[in-house]
Amino acid sequence: MRIPRILCAVAATAVLSSCSAAPVSDNAPTSEVPGYLAVADEAVTSGGTLDLQMTVDNGAATGLDPQLADVATSWQLMSLVYETLVTVGPDFSIEPGLAESWDNPSPTEYVFHLRKGVTFSNGRAMTADDVVGSFERLLAGQGVWKTQIGPVEKVSKVDDRTVSVTLSSPYQPFLASLANVPAAVLPIKEIEDGSVDITREMLGTGPFVVKSHRQDVSWQFTRRDGYWAQGKPSADTVNIAIAGQEQARMAALQNGSADLVMLGNVDAPELLNGVRGTAVGTQATTDFYYLMLNSNAPGGKFDDPRVRQAINIAMDRRAIADSALGGLGKPTGVTPAGLPGSCDPAQVPSAKAGLDRARQLLREAGAENLTFELAAYSTAPAPAVAQVIQQNLQRIGITVNIEQLDEGSWSGKVYGEVPATFDAALSWFAGYADAAMVGKWWNPEQAGFNVGFMEPNAELNTAIDKAIATPAGPERDTALQQLCDAVDTDAQMIPLVTRPALIGYRSDALSPTLYATEGYGNVLRGIADFRLLTK
Amino acid sequence: MTGWRKADWLTRSGLVCLAVLVLVTVVGTVFGIGGDPDAMVGPRLAPPGGEFLLGTDELGRSMLPRLFEGIGTTLLLSTVAVLVTAVLATLLGVAAGYYGGWLGEVVLRLVEVLYSFPTIVLAILVAAVVGPGQTATMCSIVLITIPLMTRVVRAAAVTVSERDYVTSAVISGAGWPRILVRHLLPNLSGTIAVQGTYALSVGILVEGGLSFLGFGVQPPQSSLGALIQQGSTYLLTAPWLVIVPGIVLIVAVLAINVFGDGLRDGLEPREARSLV
Repeated sequence: MRIPRILCAVAATAVLSSCSAAPVSDNAPTSEVPGYLAVADEAVTSGGTLDLQMTVDNGAATGLDPQLADVATSWQLMSLVYETLVTVGPDFSIEPGLAESWDNPSPTEYVFHLRKGVTFSNGRAMTADDVVGSFERLLAGQGVWKTQIGPVEKVSKVDDRTVSVTLSSPYQPFLASLANVPAAVLPIKEIEDGSVDITREMLGTGPFVVKSHRQDVSWQFTRRDGYWAQGKPSADTVNIAIAGQEQARMAALQNGSADLVMLGNVDAPELLNGVRGTAVGTQATTDFYYLMLNSNAPGGKFDDPRVRQAINIAMDRRAIADSALGGLGKPTGVTPAGLPGSCDPAQVPSAKAGLDRARQLLREAGAENLTFELAAYSTAPAPAVAQVIQQNLQRIGITVNIEQLDEGSWSGKVYGEVPATFDAALSWFAGYADAAMVGKWWNPEQAGFNVGFMEPNAELNTAIDKAIATPAGPERDTALQQLCDAVDTDAQMIPLVTRPALIGYRSDALSPTLYATEGYGNVLRGIADFRLLTK
Repeated sequence: MTGWRKADWLTRSGLVCLAVLVLVTVVGTVFGIGGDPDAMVGPRLAPPGGEFLLGTDELGRSMLPRLFEGIGTTLLLSTVAVLVTAVLATLLGVAAGYYGGWLGEVVLRLVEVLYSFPTIVLAILVAAVVGPGQTATMCSIVLITIPLMTRVVRAAAVTVSERDYVTSAVISGAGWPRILVRHLLPNLSGTIAVQGTYALSVGILVEGGLSFLGFGVQPPQSSLGALIQQGSTYLLTAPWLVIVPGIVLIVAVLAINVFGDGLRDGLEPREARSLV
């Protein structure tokens, strides 16, 4: 009697499955404003408490100094407190921030006109001295972002509300590089007189101030009176809970204990489909996954470029995008897909070579039957990306053993030793708002963080510098394609696919402003506009 | 055959279920039924039926071969770990039971320390030290199952070592290896076998729990726990990912426990058990 019952249960499963198969998501936010997934309803009264959940709290790693912040999750949090001279609008356009306008009298000169009425959260007015001092502190400091700021030769105060920046050579992404948190304007007077320790507390011009912080548990921000933008921020309080588990964040969204959560599972729109009062937006970001092959790996596994090139050839980026990212990612070269002028990943050398060429390269390098360890985050969807990579490489006889690690352990393994001892690792970069910016990380002497596993390549460095310096136009497109080709051939860090950002929110409790695109991993870019419907 | 006839229907059912699981897994794995368990061959999250009998997972892999691999991994890891446990627990239990004294006290305190850790906390601790994977899973199962088996073996060893035939052997000058091989181990084998079956079911659950938390086998290798973990996100939209491995896990644990009960009844009748 028991066997038929089990069969019935299995049959019931099959029926249930076929009923629920291939759900079509209808909970995606719809905005009629171009460039936005959602726009906050300004008719809703301000006030209330906004409850968010994020995946990780990186504060402990680099402290609270924004100039040292080197990961997107830190930038996201710090953007509630710190602001930059310029910011990024929808479709990656550069928009006014703390500078209400700027002039560009020559390719190497920028003049910023500062906004009136901007104060730090201690009430002191922001001045041109703060801007000049922030530049000088960034350029003299150890933060990795100084690499992105470019060849700044001189920063000078013209008057209390005007600052002039002179570059030693043309640098196309200069404005885009100023749009990120590490380039924020800091309270230099307080830093210099020692009344503020910027590594332990946050004091900025932004819409919120920190009320409390428990590492890896929560942040609480409160609304700042005297913020320069009239009527902003809308929320009185922002509570951010750190919830590492995807299911926990999804459950919090479902039961209403969170108004907005960051999601990693690419099937989140379908999983939350039909859950009353929820919406899931998918931002097309310029962030992208890349595969690191350690040139210093034990046994010299990847010191021969032919081995790295063979691995690059075997990467089926379309399969990664479709299988691991559910079609939400796009194949990309080092210039992030979606940015103006970015190269066509189908035109790079590895995309034109076949698997036979990959096998031949392995034979020539004496690396047939290669086996290596691939360290990947345990955060979705990284494990799925790693498994598709494993399948890709199996086609050319390479065995990959995946090691899933939490983000802290992963960072320790990859960046903890110089020279690094891991074989290969999977990670992602924010792709920023200019196609050449992220390419600077392919020069380990400038980037620094990858000096333990990457050897400098003179040809590649030349291509990076050329792409960075060439002004927009056909010449730049050519330079960007050459940069893609050089990175592709070097193959120490192999660009794969863009990484979508999924944002779940309670549409019955929150009216958010969400961009359709994002370059700096900052989902909370419009948080000052968020309106709470029920609190 | 005599044992089979003497066994009750519940014990027989347990044994049959276990045999079927093992047979299906071996046949499915050896003959590659359903294809390569790691190959992404179909559409993502396809429901059961047609080309994919048990559907596909979130990477488009057929669930049938992944289930075969999962059962095999879980049973193999648990069995190997329990065999290691049996050897270690027998050595420790006999040493503590036969020699007693300070050695017995040390062994008992050691297993009590291990026993004081909650199961899953101990497993996570091991995974943190050894690193996630098969080794961590096996070490965890051994450390979790060893205290109970050691204590039971020790208790049985104390009883057996006080029997007249052991005393006679000692008086007649038999060395400890002879006493161990001729008198202690044969009389402890039933206890060890019964405890082994219980440890096996605990091992399967530990493997499932550890893999569910992401500390067990690493992708793309599947195990019952890993399959349930991967499918748990899709419980409402693709329930086949969880239900089938879940049922198999329940059946395996139930069958082993039922078989273990029967084995105990056969090898240690109530009157004999009362002596231990």
